[in-house]
Amino acid sequence: MNDPLTILTLTPLGVGLLLLILPNLLPGNSADTLRKVSRNISFGVSMGLFVFATYLSFETFGGIDWLNINMGEYKLMNAEPTPLISSIGVSWIVGVDALSLPMVWLTALLIPLSMLVEWDAKKGHIFHPLILVMEGALLGVFVTLDLFVFYVFWEMTLIPMFFLILVWGGDDRKYASMKFFIYTFTASVVMLVGILIMYFHTGDIAGVSGSLTGHHFSLLEMNSGMIQSEGLRHLVWILLLIGFATKMPSVPVHTWLPDAHVQAPTAGSMLLAGVMLKMGAYGFLRVAVSLFPESTVVFTPILVILGMSSLVYGAWVCMGQTNLKRMVAYSSVSHMGLIFLGIATMQPLGIAGALFMMFAHGLISPLLFAVAGAFKHHYHTLEIGSMRGIAHHSPYLAAHMMLGWMASLGLPLMAGFVAEVAILIAFWMSFGWLVLLPALTLIITAVYYLNSMQKTIFESNDPNHGILPESLHGEEPRDITWHENTSMFILGILTVLFGILPFIFFDMMSDWSTGFIQEVLLESIIDEGVKP
Amino acid sequence: MGEIKNEYRLLLPLLPFLAIIPCIAMTTEKNPTDFAWLIVVAPFLMFPIILITGQVYNKNETWKNTWKEGGILGLAALLVSLSTTVWIVYDYLIGQADIEQNDVTSWLEWISFDVLQSDYTIAQNRILGVGVWIDSLTLMLLFVATFLCFLICWFAIGYMTTDPINEDSNHRFFAEFVLFSLGMFGMVLADNFLWLFIFWEIMGLCSYLLIGFYYWKESAAAAAKKAFLTTRVGDVFLMIGLLILYDIYGSLDFAVVFDDPSTGIGGMAVESGELFWALMMLFIGAVGKSAQFPLHVWLPDAMEGPTPVSALIHAATMVNAGLYLIARLMPFVDIHHHGVAGLEDFGLIVAWIGGITAFMAASIAFVQNDIKKVLAYSTMSQLAYIFTGLGSALYFLSTGYHHEGYFVLGASLFHLFNHAMAKGMLFMASGSVIHEVHHAHDHLHHGSDHGDHDFDPQDMRNMGGLASKMPVTSTAMMFGSMSIIGIPLIGGFWSKEGIIAETWSAYFHGEPLMLGPALLILATAGMTGFYMSRMWFMTFAGEPKSDVIDHVHESTPWIKEPLLILTLITAIGGFALAVLGVVDFLSHQEHHLSLHGHTLIEQIQHELEHAFLPDDNKLRIVGWTTILLSFVIGPIMAARIHGGKLKDGHSANLFVGWLVNLSGKFGSQDVTWLAESQLAEALDKRLYFDDLYEGIIARTVIPLADLSAWFDKNVIDGIIKQVESKSVLGSVQIRKLTTGSARDYILMATVGALCIFALLVGVNI
Repeated sequence: MNDPLTILTLTPLGVGLLLLILPNLLPGNSADTLRKVSRNISFGVSMGLFVFATYLSFETFGGIDWLNINMGEYKLMNAEPTPLISSIGVSWIVGVDALSLPMVWLTALLIPLSMLVEWDAKKGHIFHPLILVMEGALLGVFVTLDLFVFYVFWEMTLIPMFFLILVWGGDDRKYASMKFFIYTFTASVVMLVGILIMYFHTGDIAGVSGSLTGHHFSLLEMNSGMIQSEGLRHLVWILLLIGFATKMPSVPVHTWLPDAHVQAPTAGSMLLAGVMLKMGAYGFLRVAVSLFPESTVVFTPILVILGMSSLVYGAWVCMGQTNLKRMVAYSSVSHMGLIFLGIATMQPLGIAGALFMMFAHGLISPLLFAVAGAFKHHYHTLEIGSMRGIAHHSPYLAAHMMLGWMASLGLPLMAGFVAEVAILIAFWMSFGWLVLLPALTLIITAVYYLNSMQKTIFESNDPNHGILPESLHGEEPRDITWHENTSMFILGILTVLFGILPFIFFDMMSDWSTGFIQEVLLESIIDEGVKP
Repeated sequence: MGEIKNEYRLLLPLLPFLAIIPCIAMTTEKNPTDFAWLIVVAPFLMFPIILITGQVYNKNETWKNTWKEGGILGLAALLVSLSTTVWIVYDYLIGQADIEQNDVTSWLEWISFDVLQSDYTIAQNRILGVGVWIDSLTLMLLFVATFLCFLICWFAIGYMTTDPINEDSNHRFFAEFVLFSLGMFGMVLADNFLWLFIFWEIMGLCSYLLIGFYYWKESAAAAAKKAFLTTRVGDVFLMIGLLILYDIYGSLDFAVVFDDPSTGIGGMAVESGELFWALMMLFIGAVGKSAQFPLHVWLPDAMEGPTPVSALIHAATMVNAGLYLIARLMPFVDIHHHGVAGLEDFGLIVAWIGGITAFMAASIAFVQNDIKKVLAYSTMSQLAYIFTGLGSALYFLSTGYHHEGYFVLGASLFHLFNHAMAKGMLFMASGSVIHEVHHAHDHLHHGSDHGDHDFDPQDMRNMGGLASKMPVTSTAMMFGSMSIIGIPLIGGFWSKEGIIAETWSAYFHGEPLMLGPALLILATAGMTGFYMSRMWFMTFAGEPKSDVIDHVHESTPWIKEPLLILTLITAIGGFALAVLGVVDFLSHQEHHLSLHGHTLIEQIQHELEHAFLPDDNKLRIVGWTTILLSFVIGPIMAARIHGGKLKDGHSANLFVGWLVNLSGKFGSQDVTWLAESQLAEALDKRLYFDDLYEGIIARTVIPLADLSAWFDKNVIDGIIKQVESKSVLGSVQIRKLTTGSARDYILMATVGALCIFALLVGVNI
């Protein structure tokens, strides 16, 4: 197990767990020393992993040609599957392609940034290692090619997030963490049923011997033909959709998200919105669409309805929010709707747009939550309208807010716009004037973002003083710390960079999407008579 | 204020930037077009430099006094853009480059992708990138943009840095200013519709930021939001237009689309119905950006921004973007060159929207007392003129009268040039007036409780008689107003005449529906004569209407130079360019500006004949009616109401003195009854459009948003909560586990993990 992806996944997991457990085992003195440095160790490890992930991602300059990678072919795989629980056919297989690689890089990027934002968190010796554990779990979801391991990592991400909300959350954290856990766990169990049905339809594989059940979990060896009955295929697809759509989340199973976000600490929100939501879209494409293309084509209307209702309804709900973080959370619901719409177009451009949306939203939404978190941290309130003219007191915070808000409402030359334009072009090709709904929603998006900005950082009617919230109890507010500032700066710069030079990831994604359409979906598209 | 310092030495750092382009030009063999990227990149690099340096060195003396809080740096970037532009324009007008060649230099391959076609094959490698596209329209607008950006940045250094309210925040202003310039230059240069839209949105962002520059002011923040959202409505439709165009042509590059607009992707003939909707969507975008009816409500409010912003963005450059877009659409309808037949309606709609806006804005301008608001409505009205002209051009081209079509296209674009120069200058001049009146007021009430806050330095009812106090400003404003009114021989006359004549000509060619726009813009010509004269007389003629006026001095540095340069261009530029055949050049009929082999005198004679004595008798009547209305009736009416001699002992300079004296010679007229009528009140309330829109939004959008939020909280989440609390399975048992204590949870998680481990090990053995 010395291939790069395994190292990337297991290192944070190991180090994180070690840092959590060791202080309890060591004698008092050395435990205290360890507690003091565990924050720095966590950050250092995550930075090292980020450098490593960057090296792996951009090795294209050095050797790997990401653009010419065929469908169903993975890079950086471990030499041969390592059996984990050979009796039931579980093995350790890792690999990345254009679908997972940007997510891996994004995860490796967001972990150190979210640590930086909450540099001074209480109980830092637990907080930062927990985030490191989180990194391992998230990376595991994206790199593994074995459904059992996938499911284990999928559930494992819940544990650190559950504790992040429960211990470092807001006033209503108990309710929020329980709701978060039970809600998404229930949905995952539904997904697990789907996975098990698939499992029991797999045959033996030559490479993995000794599986007592005669079945295996390897994604590489699964294909759409393994389940004979069409009805059962549709059922499994639906079960998987329920699991993945809840994670994304899509209307109507989205209500865990606002509660979790509002209560979660800033770093938790950043990771939740930045990476965890993408697990839903990633899993949907990797498992449901890849293995059941026919059901996907048949159920395209469901995707359109789900996507459209998330997008439109989510935006309207956003407009009615008075809590800054709740608003940003609902805007995530709204943006995630675009991903379903992109997939539903059945166009390479639409799918590439959906992939880029996953990535772009992964850069922008952490920035939004970092800004919202800074409001909570420095102004002790998230109520829109409880303060005015904050730009005078916190110019940097106001600038980051402006950039993040503008990026999220789809301003050109920022990452989000690339995804929007790609999805909308493809959407027009497939659905014509129905595009009016998502397009007009862009106006609604602009309305709620501008409103919230105006009611917090603008219009105090006094050039020398803002109207401060009561929650400050008269103390003078400070601008954000340099930790927060650095983290937000990096996110902002990357948002603009990927808006101007999107091809860094987009071309790879679009090649992948073409292969995906051609080799996975095209047959079903022709069979079902869908007109592109 | 007090001392007037000579600050030209501050310009020394500009010298190396001035040298960049000549050095490149001398050492390279390449085309100047290959360096067009410099125009965009220079401001792009300067934006973060100004912003970050300004934030770090805020309050530093050198930064404030030598670098003018970034103003000098902004000027340097714009100087690079301007000199590159001049080099390119020179190359095309006099040098080697040929405008027919349409040099397309690709800058960036933004994204590439494949498309699944209707025969289930994959079309490989479509690219959405950006490059540079140069034709006469680009050259003209690029020059206007770079030149005015440079001059207005110069002006802004004087205007912004001498205002104490801006202290320590001017770096924000100059950074946003250069970012805006980047957007405008990029939009003009871009070689496809998508990147036109991208830069268009960048301009929208900067417009938002700059209108809201005084972010603490509630009115400014509201105006910024209104501007952004109103144009956003247009932009969304514009984007839909792009989607349709992409579907038809499989590309958004001008080179591909305009090569043969009647043939779509894969050689399919283009349906006029689909194309019509694409063009209509683009037009809605243009309507939003250029503040035309019914999306016009944002422009007057946008005057909340600092005056240089009004001059640049909301008069001279950004609002022209819509016109530029419509002018770009000509090849679609030109049935002589592969255009698509059956799009006459599009031209009629454009002309009607233009006519309605021109008339409406001019009538609202009648009752405005804020000097900037008058100019804002004037801008709206003049842009509408150009829209009407473009509408006629579209109509002519789609019905096959391509000679008339190209003539009115050229005239419209020429009017765009004249209007941009004159209106940019008028706004700067109004800024000069406001600035000095404001300073005089502060000076006068210094020490007391900071004067009365009700005093509005923009209100013309506080002015009057300024001609003697502000010689340069009053002269500039006089020529600017004359150009806008269309006083014969000056600036806008040469272009406006053409637009009105050809719109009537469309009616004479047998299109009864063109009578409406034709009548509306003819009436507007007279109204323009009235409201522009009214503004000038109220400000500069007559006796002072407040005690502040006696203390006004034209003393701020950096302000006069741009005014003088633009006065010169406004006064004689229009005539000179008309003689050089700019109309034919702009409508692609000629590749160079020249005298066409005639002597200068012959050519002048030809132009004068063409303007005053056209061959067609009907057009001759239209032409002279226009002159009568705009030159005689409008200004005289204004003089009767607002004109008057200066206070005794005051005199104005040679250029404006005669006008002040003349304005007192028509007697006076009392119009109180009219001013108190319901019509005046309706106009004052902007014909209730703002109230209407606000009412609709308050009754529909806000309740719906609240309803959605309520629904989500109580119905969707409510159901979940019901399920949770009623669920039989473990509702009691599981709750016992949720003790809320972290220790218990860690224990449970550990036990679970151990179980999994045991299972793992056990099964493996």
